[in-house]
Amino acid sequence: MTLIEQFAERAEAVSARVVRVKSQAEAGDAVARERERAKTAGLSSDVARASRGIAATGTCVVATDDEETRLATMLPEISIIVLNASDIVPDLPDIAPFLRERQTVGRASYTSFITGPSRTADIERVSAIGVHGPLELVIVLVEANA
Amino acid sequence: MNATSSRAYHREIESALEDSFLRRTLDKFAVEYRESRDRAFSEIDGPALISAIAAAKDAAAHDMDALYARFKAEAESRGAVVHLAKTASEACSIIERIAAENGVRHIVKSKSMTAEEIGLNAHLGKAGLDVCETDLGEWIVQLRHEGPSHMVMPAIHLSRSQVADEFEKATGEKQDHEDVQRLVKVARRELRPKFFAAEMGISGANFCIAETGTIAIVTNEGNGRLVNTLPPVHVALAGIDKLIPSLDDALAALRVLPRNATSQRLTAYTSFISGATPCAKSPTGRKILHIVLLDNGRSDIARDPLFSQVFRCVRCGACANVCPVFRLVGGHRMGHVYIGAIGLVLTYLFHDRKIAKQLCQNCVGCGACKEVCSGGIDLPALIQEIRARLASEDGSPAPARIASLAMRDRRLFHTLLKFMRFAQKPVSGKDGFVRHLPMAIFGKQGFKSLPALAPKAFREMWSTVKPNVASPRLKVALFAGCAQDFIYPEHLLAALKVLAAGGVEVTFPMEQTCCGLPLAMLGEAKTAERVARQNVAAFAEDCDFIVTLCASCASHLKHGYARMLGNDAEKFSAKVMDFSSFVNEHLPPEVLPLERSDEKVAYHASCHLCRALGVREAPRALIRRAANYVPSAEEESCCGFGGTFSAKFPEISAELMRKKLANVAASGATRLVLDCPGCAMQLKGGADKAGMPIAVNHIAELLQPGGLRRG
Repeated sequence: MTLIEQFAERAEAVSARVVRVKSQAEAGDAVARERERAKTAGLSSDVARASRGIAATGTCVVATDDEETRLATMLPEISIIVLNASDIVPDLPDIAPFLRERQTVGRASYTSFITGPSRTADIERVSAIGVHGPLELVIVLVEANA
Repeated sequence: MNATSSRAYHREIESALEDSFLRRTLDKFAVEYRESRDRAFSEIDGPALISAIAAAKDAAAHDMDALYARFKAEAESRGAVVHLAKTASEACSIIERIAAENGVRHIVKSKSMTAEEIGLNAHLGKAGLDVCETDLGEWIVQLRHEGPSHMVMPAIHLSRSQVADEFEKATGEKQDHEDVQRLVKVARRELRPKFFAAEMGISGANFCIAETGTIAIVTNEGNGRLVNTLPPVHVALAGIDKLIPSLDDALAALRVLPRNATSQRLTAYTSFISGATPCAKSPTGRKILHIVLLDNGRSDIARDPLFSQVFRCVRCGACANVCPVFRLVGGHRMGHVYIGAIGLVLTYLFHDRKIAKQLCQNCVGCGACKEVCSGGIDLPALIQEIRARLASEDGSPAPARIASLAMRDRRLFHTLLKFMRFAQKPVSGKDGFVRHLPMAIFGKQGFKSLPALAPKAFREMWSTVKPNVASPRLKVALFAGCAQDFIYPEHLLAALKVLAAGGVEVTFPMEQTCCGLPLAMLGEAKTAERVARQNVAAFAEDCDFIVTLCASCASHLKHGYARMLGNDAEKFSAKVMDFSSFVNEHLPPEVLPLERSDEKVAYHASCHLCRALGVREAPRALIRRAANYVPSAEEESCCGFGGTFSAKFPEISAELMRKKLANVAASGATRLVLDCPGCAMQLKGGADKAGMPIAVNHIAELLQPGGLRRG
């Protein structure tokens, strides 16, 4: 299985929806479409861009130093994250150089690992999606050079 | 729980055992957790990662001062303020002061066990501050004015209907009592405005990473990110045990923590906060970030050679998830603030010793917690050590003192046992159980038939039963253990036949005595060491192996002696082998051909065999050689005996036993074999009492040439 396939499979395993596109332009269209769908359904949506993806966990790594970006992944009912397939690393330990560079050289103050929509099992261990964060996570995965 | 007396604690346990919702929930959880954890760990090298976490955390514990200095310098260079609080009350005061300095009145809080540890909410409440828990489970228990009953699932003890009741009170609106999804949305709706209104957010931190002054927070619901983003002030509270050197350490631990806690590959959100992040609501445009690191006794613990391993705890809650006692009584009876096996230990270290004294008795010693711990903490050993420390500080309770006096001298001990055999004569049945006594005198112990001492101890028969093996292949010294020597000599007689048939010469050193495990469990450390030395001396004569039929003795002789005596026990411990492993490894079918029957035979994996010694395949392979082995559910869960545990907590012991026997009955087996006389006492007595058509035997009896004599 390629990293891209593993990422998609594992993100979907935690209830994220993965939309695979072939170019940045298509990504823009996909985002617009998703936002329009949300609007039609009467749901709020917002979009952010991931810096990296982690295949083993289906995680989007988002630079959320900017408060607006952070809130864009927290407050809306539908959260859309655009991720370049070429930015996917295999597993958690492989993200260390990126994080270290960000936090030392870049003096970054906030990095978010986002793995699926917000969830809980606090009532009778029944799994429920959409607690305090998004009810739905849409990952627009851009395979530009595929 | 807050009970400081045994009587009060037992009352609490009784009421928990009667809570049928709790029992059903935790039963289901115990089974499902095991399966989902296995799945989650199948993708990673769990043991290697756990060792790595242990090593990193141990190194951190030894380097606390330097780590703190580095963390503080890095975090403060990024605009945070780092505080070190010596005590719980100091931490509370610091946080109250931060609130006052920033004109805070409303606080939103995400989950923090450290805040529970220091009683932060009560403190801030008294100061007139409004603190709202925002984690769903924490909010529910806050509405009920109680503490969490699990470190990861705070409200696991409550039904959806009870939650709906609380939500009705909180919102003044009728709530759905069936639909959990709707109840979850109530929390979203009710709490969203609070995030916006709050002037301060309080969170915990899972990791404090020194190299970059970063705190990492692991959550699922998304409340944690709102808590640390929306209000202008963020206070993160963490014990100094959360300090680790590098990002790599955090990322390694992140591969284990979510898998062990909730069987997730990673939780929904992991946030890395390095200093004061942009914040529109703050007057400076930057978050007012305070990181309060709590000592509260931790730096002393870091210097303790045994207890420093508690620094490895990542608060995943796995030790509760697999604990057979937690499964029966729930977290409110299996912890004070912290829950589960680590909760017992931390109650002693951070909170009330009187409460810890009660709690630490309530460990059956099965070792299930140790096996799943994210940091490989030897929790049963720590709990045992706490018993010993409390016993030496407060003086031992009478039963422990009497046992200690009786067992320190082998001759006295064995004379006493022989006297008891004489004294029990009028009440012994012919079938090896105590029969002719009114049940009333047993009280809560009456859940199983109690074994009678055998008419003749094995040691008294030895000279007449000693087999003569011509040109032996191996020489084995037999360690009998008290229970088999005096109650079940038939186990040993069967073993002699098996060993003789396999061409093994057996010696029986007469100076051997109790292995000392019951003494260690009672906290009588000195006498435990004394009898250990007696046994090492008794087995000085040369032999290839020291074989015992008791899993508990075997694990104590091997690991307990090594811990207590170090090098003095090295040669001895290296030779110790449990009976099943010995026969399986050294008496293969070509050496010891067995006649196989078609009888359906189930297996009970004794805690000390499967976990303490890691012996899993040998006994099952042997059963397959002799009979039709039928697997049963939860073979490796504790039977509830736990040595003195069954006498101290008969109500819990009885439930564990019933569960075990029900699983065996469901397998369709007509016979149950095991490797431990303690489990035999429990399960044989339980099956007899319940009139179940299940024979209980030691595996040696199943294997003996000529088949089973009784059962």
